[in-house]
Amino acid sequence: MMHVSPVREPLINGEKSYKDITNDVMAPIRAKPGKLWFVGLGISMLVMLVGFAMIGYTVWFGIGTWGVNRTIGWGWGITNFVWWVGIGHAGTFISAILLLFRQKWRTSINRAAEAMTIFAVMCAGLFPLIHMGRLPLGFFILPYPNTRELWVNFNSPLLWDVFAITAYLLVSLLFWYMGLIPDLGTIRDRMKTLWKKKVYNFLSFGWKGSARHWQRHESMSLILAGLAAPLVLSVHTIVSFDFATSVIPGWHTTIFPPYFVSGAVFSGFAMVLTLMIVTRKVLNLQEYITVGHVESMNKVIIATGSIVGIAYITELFMAWYSGVEYERYAFLNRAMGPYAWAYWIMMTCNVISPQLLWFKKLRRNLTFTFVLSIFINIGMWFERFVIVVTSLHRDYLPSSWSMYKPTWVEVAIYLGTFGLFFTLFFLFIRVFPVIALAEVKSVLRSSARKFIGKPVKNQPSEKQ
Amino acid sequence: MEKKEIPDAVPFRFEKKLKLWLAIAAGVGVIALLWAVFIEQAPASRIWANLWMNALMFLFLGLGALFFWTVNTLGESSWQINIQRIMESMGITIPFAVIFFIVAFPGMRNLFEWTHTGQLDRLLQEKTPYLNIPFWMFRLAIYFALWSFFAVYLRKISVKNDFEPHEKYLARLRSTSGWFMVIFAITSSMAAWDWLMSIDAHWFSTLYGWYIFSGMFVAAVAVIILITIAFKKFNILPNVNEEHLHDLGKYLFGFSIFWAYLWLSQYLLIWYSNIPEETVYYVERIEHFNSLFYLNLIVNFTVPFFALMTRNSKRQTTILAVVALIVLLGHYLDLWLAIMPGAVGHEAAKIGFLEIGLPFFYLAAFLAIFFISFEKAKPVPENHPYFIESSEYENI
Amino acid sequence: MGAIVYGHFTDEPDLLKAVKELQNKGIRIADVRTPFPVHGLDKALKYRRSHLPKVAFIAGVAGAVLMFYFQYWVFTEGWPLNFGGKPYFSVLSFIPGTFEITILFAAFAMGIAFLVRSNLGPGSIPDILDENVTDDHFQIILSEKENRLSETELSEALSATGALDVKHVNGEK
Repeated sequence: MMHVSPVREPLINGEKSYKDITNDVMAPIRAKPGKLWFVGLGISMLVMLVGFAMIGYTVWFGIGTWGVNRTIGWGWGITNFVWWVGIGHAGTFISAILLLFRQKWRTSINRAAEAMTIFAVMCAGLFPLIHMGRLPLGFFILPYPNTRELWVNFNSPLLWDVFAITAYLLVSLLFWYMGLIPDLGTIRDRMKTLWKKKVYNFLSFGWKGSARHWQRHESMSLILAGLAAPLVLSVHTIVSFDFATSVIPGWHTTIFPPYFVSGAVFSGFAMVLTLMIVTRKVLNLQEYITVGHVESMNKVIIATGSIVGIAYITELFMAWYSGVEYERYAFLNRAMGPYAWAYWIMMTCNVISPQLLWFKKLRRNLTFTFVLSIFINIGMWFERFVIVVTSLHRDYLPSSWSMYKPTWVEVAIYLGTFGLFFTLFFLFIRVFPVIALAEVKSVLRSSARKFIGKPVKNQPSEKQ
Repeated sequence: MEKKEIPDAVPFRFEKKLKLWLAIAAGVGVIALLWAVFIEQAPASRIWANLWMNALMFLFLGLGALFFWTVNTLGESSWQINIQRIMESMGITIPFAVIFFIVAFPGMRNLFEWTHTGQLDRLLQEKTPYLNIPFWMFRLAIYFALWSFFAVYLRKISVKNDFEPHEKYLARLRSTSGWFMVIFAITSSMAAWDWLMSIDAHWFSTLYGWYIFSGMFVAAVAVIILITIAFKKFNILPNVNEEHLHDLGKYLFGFSIFWAYLWLSQYLLIWYSNIPEETVYYVERIEHFNSLFYLNLIVNFTVPFFALMTRNSKRQTTILAVVALIVLLGHYLDLWLAIMPGAVGHEAAKIGFLEIGLPFFYLAAFLAIFFISFEKAKPVPENHPYFIESSEYENI
Repeated sequence: MGAIVYGHFTDEPDLLKAVKELQNKGIRIADVRTPFPVHGLDKALKYRRSHLPKVAFIAGVAGAVLMFYFQYWVFTEGWPLNFGGKPYFSVLSFIPGTFEITILFAAFAMGIAFLVRSNLGPGSIPDILDENVTDDHFQIILSEKENRLSETELSEALSATGALDVKHVNGEK
C-alpha cells in the first residue's frame, strides 16, 4: 500500500488514461516524419560524415595532423573523450540511482536519457581509439593471448579505462534494452503493418506481459540498478585516474574521483535537459515531461554543480596549503596565465551560473534552464580543457613550456561526434519510444493529476 | 493489503532507570580516564588524543544526523519523517560538543605540531597564515556557531509545525536546509582540515574533507539505526516498520561502500604516484599500524558489504543492529587511525582500557542530551504532509 | 496451452480483487498479463521470489575471481615487468579491472538468465490472446487442464469477478 501526499506535484498532467499514454508516446513512431526531422537528420549525418572523413584523414596521415606536440601530448582529443563520457553518466544515474531512491519522476525521462548515454559513450569511445594513431591496431589494448607473449599493462589507468568504458557501454546497453523489451512489445501490438509487426516482435523478444515475466523483470531491473549505480561511479572515477595518478601538478590530486563523478552527472543532466526541453515540445510530450520534472533535474544540477564548485575551492586552498611551489604555480597559472580565459569561462559557467538555480522561479523556467544547460556543458568542456592543457603546457621545467592550439582536423572531428550523436538520437526518436511506456503507466494511479486531486497551487501556466 | 496491527505509541520518558544506566556508563568513562592518568601513567599525548578523538566522535554523530535530515528535506523525501525526531534530537547535541572540544584545548600542543611556534620548519612556517592558534580558534567558533544555529533553528521550526501546521514552516525548513547544506559543505571540510589533517601537518590531501565526512555520515546512520530499533522495540515509534529499517540499511550499505571508495581513492592515488611527501602518511600506518589499518577496511567495508547485501538482511532488526554496531565501532577505529599515528606515534599508541572505556562517558553524555531533547517534542511530526506517506509505503 | 478461458479488466484494483476472488473459489490461475508490473500481484499470485539476484551474485564472484587471478598471473607468471617500481603483485592496481569485470559478468549473466528462464529472445513467438494486454488491458487466463472445471464453469467464475470480454479457446494451438 502506497500513499502519495496531496501536496506532491502530479507527474502526469492532462486526464490521461493508459491508452492515452501509449498513443501519445507512439505518435512519433507512427507518424510520417516531418520536414524538420529530415532537415535535422540530414545536417547531423552530413556533419558526422565530415567528422568521419577527418578521422580517416588522421589515421592516414597521422596524429601530426593534430595540434598535440611536446609537451602537450593530449589536447582536444582527450578533452572531448572525458566530456562525452561525463555526459553519458546522466542516463545511468537517472535509470539506476534514481530508481534506487524511488524517484518516480524518472519514469518519463529515463528511456531517452539512457539512449543518450549509449550514444554519448559511443562518441566518447571514438577518441581513445583514434588518438592512438594506428586505429587498425586498436585491438592491442585488449589482453589476448599472442605469440609474442605480450600482455597489457594492468597498472595503467589508460587500460583500466578500456575495461571501464567497455563494461559501461555494454551494461548501459543491457539496462536500456531490457527496459525497452516490454515497450517494444507494446509497439508491436499497436502496429498494423505486418512487416513492422514482425520487426518489433523480433526486437521485443516475444514479450507478452506475463506476470511472471514482469516479476523477474522487476527483480532484474532492481539488481541491474544496484550494479549500474557503482558502475557509473567507477567509470568516471577510472577516467579521473587518468589525470590523478601522474606526478605533475594539476594531474595529481586525491579529490578527482568523486569530483569528476559529480561533474559528470552535472554535465549529463545539463545535456538531458537540453535534449528534453526541445524534444518535449517537438514531440508533444509536455504532459509527461512536466515543469516539475525539469525542476527536479535542476535540483540535481545545483547539487552536483555545487559539489564541483567546492572541489575547485578545495583544490585552490590545498595548492596553497601544501606549500609545494609547483602546485601553487600550477593554479596561479590557470587563473592568470595564457589560458586564463579558458579558466574563467569554466568558473563562470560551472560555479556561478548554476547557483542561480537556488531560485525556484528560475528552476521552473524552461528558457532559462535551456540556456543554462548549454552554458554548463560549455563550462564542463572547458574544465577538462583546463585540466588537460594547462597542466601539461607548464609543468616542472620552464624550458619545456609550450602552447597548444587545435587544428581544424581536431575541431572537425569533435563536431563530427555531435553529428554522430544527433544522427543516432534522431533515428532513436523515430524507431523507439522516447518515454518508458510501462514505467509511466505504473505511476499513473499514484501520481497523475486526475488521481492526486486538487490542483497544485502556484503552478506557473503550462504555456512552456 | 491487510493492515498490520500497529500498537499504540508509548510516550517516551527519560526515566530514573535510564538515567542510572547512563550514569554508570559515564562512570566507566571517568574511571578509564583516571586509570590511564594515574595508574597506567600513559603519556600525555595519548590522553589528550583520546579526549580529542571522543570530542570529535561526539560531534560527528550529531552533525551527520543533521546533514541526513536536511538532505532528505531538500530531496522532498518522505520515508524518513517517522524517524525525523531522532535526527532532530541528535542534532541538538551539536552545541554541547563544543564543551568537549574546550576540555581538550590544553592538549593542543601535544596534538598539533604547528602550535610549537618557536620550532617550526620551513614547510610549517609557510602554513602559519592558516595554522595559527588565533585563526584556528576563530574558525572553530564560527563552525560551532553556525552548526548550532542550524541545529536549534531547524528543530524549532519543525516543532512549531506540530502546533500550528502551516506551509510557511515547511518552506522555511526547506530554505534553511538549503543554507545549511552549503555552509555544511564548506565548514565540514575545513573542520576536517583544521582538526584532523593538521595533526599530520606536513601532509595534505584534497579528498580528506570528503573522506572524513563520509565516515561521519555512516557513523551517524549507524547510531540512527540503533536508536530506531530500540525505540521500535519499546513501541515509542510503533509506525516504524521493516520498510524504514530497509531504507536505513540501504544507506548503511551504500555509504559504507562510498566510504570505502573514498578510502581507496585516497590510498590508491597516493600509492600510485609514490610522491614521498604524500606517501609518508600511509607508510607510517602500514609499517607501524599494519593490522589496524587493514582491519579498518574489513570492519567498515567488507562486513557491511557482505552482511547487508541481501534484501532480507536489511529488514531484520538483529542483523541490522549488529552490523550497525560493528560499523560504528569501525568508524571509531577509522578516527583513531586518523589521529593516533600523528599525535601519539607508534610507540605509545595502543587500544587499551582508556580507548575502550572513555567513549562510554561521551556516549552517556550524548544520549542524555538526546533523550532530554527527544522527550520535549512529539515522537513523530504527525502534522507533516508527508507523514502518511512515511507510514504507508513499501519497498520493492 | 490447452483449452483456456480468459477475460480482461481495465484497471489494477479490479484485477487484484478478481485474482483474490478466484483464489478464494479455489481456482488456479494460469497466467495474468498486464501492461506494466502491478504492485502486489506476484504476492497475490503467490509467486516465489525470483532467483535472478543469486545468478548475478554468483556470476559476479566468478568474474571477480577470474579477473583478479588473470591480472595476478599476467604480472607474476606471464611477463613480470617493472612499472615504476611497483610490486609485481600490485593489488591496488588490480582493483579497477576486477571491479568492472565483476559488474559486467553479473549484469550479463542475469540478463541472459532472465531471457532464457522466461523463454524470451530474438525470434520468440508469443501466444498473444489479447493485443491490448500491452496497452491497457489486464488479462487473467485460466486453464481447463489445471482446474478440474468445465469451460462454462470457468467462464462463469471469471465473469462473476467482473472480467470483460470473457472468451475461451479450445486446445491445439
